[in-house]
Amino acid sequence: MMPVRVENIVKWLGKTLVLRGITLDFRAGEFFFLLGPSGCGKTTFLRVLAGFLFPEEGRVFFGEREVTFLPPHKRNAAMVFQHYALFPHMSVWDNVAYGLKVRKLPRHEIELRVRDALRLVRLKGFERRFPLQLSGGQQQRVALARAIAVHPDLLLLDEPLSNLDAKLRAEMRSELKELQRKLGVTTVYVTHDQKEALAMADRIAVMREGRVEQVGTPTELYRRPRSRFVAEFLGDANVWEGRIVALHSEQVSVETPFGILHCHPPDFPVREGERVWVMIRPEAVVFVSDGSQQLPNTFVARIERAVYLGEATEVVARVRDIKVKALHFRAQDGGFAHEVRLQFAPNDLVLLPHEEAATVAV
Amino acid sequence: MTLSFSLTKRLRQWRYEFSPSALSLWATLWLIFAVLLLYPIAFMLKGAVVYEGRFTLDFFALLLRDPQLADALKGSFGLALTSTSLTLALAIPIAYAMVRYRLPLKGVLNVVLLVPMISPPFVSAIAVRKLLARFGPINQLLIALGVVDPTNPPSWLDYPFWGIVILQVLHFLPIAYLNCVAALARIDRSLEEAAQSLGAHGFRLFRTVTLPLMMPGLFAAGSLVFILAFTDLGTPLVFNYTRVIAVQVFHRVEQALEDPTGYAMVLLVMVLSVVIFWTSKRWAERWQVQTMPRAAGETGECILPLPLAWLLFAAIFLVAFLAILPNIAVVLNAFADRWFMTILPDRWTTRYFEQLLVYSLTATAIRNSLLYSLASATLDILLGLAIAYLVVRGKAPLPQWLDGMAMLPLAIPGIVVAFGYVGAFANTPLDPRQNPVLLLIIAYAIRRLPYMVRACYAGLQQASEILEEASLNLGASPFRTFVKITLPQILPHLIAGGIMAFAFAMLEVSDSLILAFDQRYFPITKAIYALANRLEGGVQMASAMGILGMLVLGFSLVLSTRLMGRRMGEVFKV
Repeated sequence: MMPVRVENIVKWLGKTLVLRGITLDFRAGEFFFLLGPSGCGKTTFLRVLAGFLFPEEGRVFFGEREVTFLPPHKRNAAMVFQHYALFPHMSVWDNVAYGLKVRKLPRHEIELRVRDALRLVRLKGFERRFPLQLSGGQQQRVALARAIAVHPDLLLLDEPLSNLDAKLRAEMRSELKELQRKLGVTTVYVTHDQKEALAMADRIAVMREGRVEQVGTPTELYRRPRSRFVAEFLGDANVWEGRIVALHSEQVSVETPFGILHCHPPDFPVREGERVWVMIRPEAVVFVSDGSQQLPNTFVARIERAVYLGEATEVVARVRDIKVKALHFRAQDGGFAHEVRLQFAPNDLVLLPHEEAATVAV
Repeated sequence: MTLSFSLTKRLRQWRYEFSPSALSLWATLWLIFAVLLLYPIAFMLKGAVVYEGRFTLDFFALLLRDPQLADALKGSFGLALTSTSLTLALAIPIAYAMVRYRLPLKGVLNVVLLVPMISPPFVSAIAVRKLLARFGPINQLLIALGVVDPTNPPSWLDYPFWGIVILQVLHFLPIAYLNCVAALARIDRSLEEAAQSLGAHGFRLFRTVTLPLMMPGLFAAGSLVFILAFTDLGTPLVFNYTRVIAVQVFHRVEQALEDPTGYAMVLLVMVLSVVIFWTSKRWAERWQVQTMPRAAGETGECILPLPLAWLLFAAIFLVAFLAILPNIAVVLNAFADRWFMTILPDRWTTRYFEQLLVYSLTATAIRNSLLYSLASATLDILLGLAIAYLVVRGKAPLPQWLDGMAMLPLAIPGIVVAFGYVGAFANTPLDPRQNPVLLLIIAYAIRRLPYMVRACYAGLQQASEILEEASLNLGASPFRTFVKITLPQILPHLIAGGIMAFAFAMLEVSDSLILAFDQRYFPITKAIYALANRLEGGVQMASAMGILGMLVLGFSLVLSTRLMGRRMGEVFKV
């Protein structure tokens, strides 16, 4: 178990500035996710951690040891590649033993560790096979076994599940998470799949255009995003433009195109009259059945479309021509009425800084 | 009963599946292959194993018992093994350095390394033979440097084996280099990175991961060089070195019909090269791992300390320069007016170039070669287009067999086909001893057919089939669609392939030496060979003629690369 720290990493590839100053702390034994759209620099950052790329600026520490310019073979940071990179000319056993032979471990130790690693990934009995004789999922496990067999200080995973079919991917998610917990190795996992990140991560860093947008636990990021980008990248979201009209210690009132919304105060400073985004997740929108009850932020909405998804019904409604997405979880016999009442609970409404307003303020 | 039933069923199915015109084109192509490729081989086979109506393997036994022939067989093996290992020993490190390190003036190096491709080794052999003469320029240089005793300079030509090896190695280096580069480029870099992240580096990384993954490519390159060296006729002939199988075959052409050991010998060569060729091909297909695209801006080149980079550059440049040296010798010879007992010629002239057009042997040869090459290139274009269209578009049955036929000449050495032609078509209208024109054209065309077909494959695979379907859908006939839609799309490839076929035909060695008996029908290469053995000005004129050929080939290569762009590599891979 080893904590890893990177400070202000800047990396150019050719004429593109790919990493624009990344600072992150990976706690010892943590399952850490780098999440972002393609081209955000997450793979490049992983390659900096592995030592395949040296940054132009910034420093990388494994524990107390600085490794910024240490070549990959001296780092003990094992990587699982997106396409597995299994050596096609070696058997499963030789693939897993490779790193151990390089480390010149005694023979019985190698045997022991290879057997252990293969047992952990549930591939006992496949030792003599060659990579091309294995299915995608099995190849993925061999790649994993090969990486964990060397007992790395840092385990790096580059979209390891992206080449598996949907069912297998879902299975591997829980399996990988369990394995990571068992091994307790500090792990950095790169993906563009927010579901993967939410399901497996201890903490997630959302990356955008070479910068870290926000770091936090899955619930923090999902429920309390700090930017519109993070909010929308992590899942479906209703986002409306608004202006702050009243500030109280407990509550903020925001004027939106369909009326005043009372929200929980944001964790960034706001002024009266400032423009903001107001966000609420579709599943947080409440369908109010009892019309007599007086709840804050309740509006009459006209149902435009309802799509039955099985576990829920996705509803698209309009409040004074403004679109609202909502999820309805109880089966509704006979469909929806033409009009419903929707409520946005103040605690579920998240205020996000309006980028334009922010730049004006500066 | 069931067999004939299933055959008729199969045939009926074909009639539904394929158009009559495509089927007749397909049948015609098979007929052509049968007559021009399969029949000569079958003829030799029969000649070698059937004697006076009985089956016999005596001639093969004789082959191994005859001390001269057994010696030649051993000689060829020794020569080919030596040349191949030395070529690879040079090509692998050069390719590795060129692909993996950032070197100064890499573009220049890349061009210089490929230059030796444009001359057949036997043309440079003629020039080098002169350089190495007892009182020739090399010894003069060594005398001037005080390394060698002026009264008794060493007689280099007493070691023809090493002379041939050096010339072959230098000439085959570009081919081996290109294949090694391809082998390296095919390796998925993440495999090496995986090894690095597991702790491997340096030579261990190379030995355990890089080299094993290069192996299929290296074996392919090695087997190609081996076959070329094993069957090289021109170079040993120039050095009067008879202890190789190709020269023995050449000397038996005249008695091809009387002496069946000739057939046995040629068949042995053929079987050997076909086996080597297929083994390497099968092996190359084994580890076909898809290479992954690199992140933009990551070249994968390692940056070396500057002095080391220049040192590496100097080393590679030295080898490349050595490889060009024979070509420089050709140029010097062609322009040398007086070059006797001096290091460099002391008087220069363009006389020999002027004489080329006047002198009847050379003027006729140039005219002949232009005619032969033009005709064979045309034939190649027609055959290549037809084969590629049927195979790529799946318009005819058993496409993989047609493809196999078209690629067969890659595996069958030139001397085998030529020798087969002399025997198989003796006393027919095609008899090369009467008039070799038709057979020369056919032989040239067959030899270059694989490259032409590949060029057409590349073109057709790029050309969109959807456009053809759109044209058919709009009511155009298949033929009209082909002419109006398909052809324009693949024209650059077709022209590029044609130019290459033309240029290589101009400098084809073994077919020309074996098939052209009468001076009236000599192509350029046979004229060069004839000239090289004349005393007065022969070498100079041969060199001048060689330069002419090199210019044509070099110019054609540049032109076709322009036309084909990056797909050129697909034509030349093993």
